[in-house]
Amino acid sequence: MSLSSERLAATAAGFLAAAVLAVLYAPVVIGALFSVIEVTRNGINWGGFSLAWYGKLWQNQSILDAVRTTLIVSACSVSLAIVLSIALALYVEWEGAIGRRLIELVVYLPFLLPPIVTGLSLLIFFANLGISRGVATIVIGHSVFVLAVLYRLVLTRLQSLPATLFEASADLGATRWQTLRHVLWPQLRSAVATGAILAFTLSFDETLISVFLAGDATTLPLRLWAMMRVGFTPEINALVTLVLLFSIALAIIVSLRMKPEGEMEE
Amino acid sequence: MGLSLKAVEKSYGAQRVLQPVDLEAADGEFLTILGPSGSGKTTILRLVGGFTRPTGGHIRFGGTDLTDVPSHKRPFNTVFQDYALFPHMSVADNVGYGLMVRGMAKAAIRDKVVRTLEVVGLGGLLDRYPSQLSGGQKQRVALARAIVCEPKLILLDEPLAALDAEMRRHMQFFLKDLQRRIATAFLFVTHDQEEAITMSDRIVVMDKGRIEQVGAPGDIYYAPKTPFVARFFGDNNLIEGNVRDGRVETAVANFALPAGSRAEPRPVLVAVRPEKISIGGADGGRTAIACKVEETTFTGALTQLKARPLAAPQTTLLVKMTSDPGRPLPERGAETTLSFAPDTVAIVEVGS
Repeated sequence: MSLSSERLAATAAGFLAAAVLAVLYAPVVIGALFSVIEVTRNGINWGGFSLAWYGKLWQNQSILDAVRTTLIVSACSVSLAIVLSIALALYVEWEGAIGRRLIELVVYLPFLLPPIVTGLSLLIFFANLGISRGVATIVIGHSVFVLAVLYRLVLTRLQSLPATLFEASADLGATRWQTLRHVLWPQLRSAVATGAILAFTLSFDETLISVFLAGDATTLPLRLWAMMRVGFTPEINALVTLVLLFSIALAIIVSLRMKPEGEMEE
Repeated sequence: MGLSLKAVEKSYGAQRVLQPVDLEAADGEFLTILGPSGSGKTTILRLVGGFTRPTGGHIRFGGTDLTDVPSHKRPFNTVFQDYALFPHMSVADNVGYGLMVRGMAKAAIRDKVVRTLEVVGLGGLLDRYPSQLSGGQKQRVALARAIVCEPKLILLDEPLAALDAEMRRHMQFFLKDLQRRIATAFLFVTHDQEEAITMSDRIVVMDKGRIEQVGAPGDIYYAPKTPFVARFFGDNNLIEGNVRDGRVETAVANFALPAGSRAEPRPVLVAVRPEKISIGGADGGRTAIACKVEETTFTGALTQLKARPLAAPQTTLLVKMTSDPGRPLPERGAETTLSFAPDTVAIVEVGS
């Protein structure tokens, strides 16, 4: 193939990629645009830049409550999953561990199964135990769901650490807790942080499991879903834009932390 | 009252990696466990360090039974083959770790760490991180981290294996010198027999999970007790033979039984060190062997000669002699007489 036709192909591929990106992101851009300009019955007032919708959003108590519930749910479920993932990874890596494959299956399954199955199973489980649904049940549901992500990252990190590191610590007189605190935790910290961010974004927009487990509680995705039936107000554009910026920030942090081979920065 | 192992053994399922072993190390002794991979040498070290538990027997130190004492409560420290430095800690924190977990005050730790790093020749590197150090420097940090706790015994697991040849020779002398200065017993594991000869007070030679021989380097070199030791430890000429009527009979030569050997008739292995054979001269009770020269090689200080005895051409004899430019060497294919003194020969029992 000659140089010019190669260049032609590359240019064409570039245009195609640009077109795909444009189609994918146009709604997002339009949503963000409509959150800062005026839209009236007569058309779009391109000159009318205003942050009015953001102000309106700030006064919408039901949305703010949903955001707060979502943040609480995400923070709690991620914290719970961090503790569980470290404990499980340590156990699976221990030479005397039994039922390794079963544990891994149990950890990964809720992430791989359709959320509708996970949500429904948990709903039946809680109903049979007579546990009333609310924020606590959503937290449990999300923990089960995001555990797989944290577990995978923690386990990979743990497996990359030489066993002599912990032997050396014990050899120098450290108890198990001292080894955990001074040697293991500093080595796991970055993997846990990356996993926590990923798990947080998953929990933040999780909808299906929440539907089954919410009871009277309302998370942000559930609130938006409910609003779909009565129609959106333009302040939703403001909310979506804020969520988008937040997600982009988290994604950038994660991608900066991950090296190409999937390892974490120190 | 140093380290004592009594009938210590280790199995993984049906596989026994260490046969029941008895071993003693005196206070202040440099004891080396030498053997090929899979000989069980590292297993012994890991059992002594408390990283694995024996499936039988007792490990004692100074009269105290340590068999069930966990690693962190044993008065030993280990230098690992991969050094196992904590990557997230500076050199100072690595070396001070053993003192920190014991609850020593920060200022006292700093003091002791500085002094210890000077002992191993690394003063001034306190704030570096392991990733910024060369192999030799990491090695010294690992050593400093072990000696700073003032253990009764230091365990070293092939600590020189990862270093280049020059650094390794340098570290051999450094380790031996350090061991004398701190007057602490070293239990050193290696597969390198040169390392073992240079540094050890005593050597334990192991093969297939068994101790083959324990002794001073000279004893093991000149009086190997088993065919394995005779083969593994330095170059040796090994000739099968029989003891009969106070003489040793082989296909290569017959000669008087060396003083101190049992006269009982039996098959034996005759081990003759290459440097104990010389060209010519059957005088003074030396045993002469008529040979055909196969090859001569000048290697610097030494010249090597390979020859086949006329009486047993299937055997090759290796001779090492001091190079001498004034002395002509026999040509390849020429016939020459080699000789050795019968009392420099080791009679190795082939066992039952």
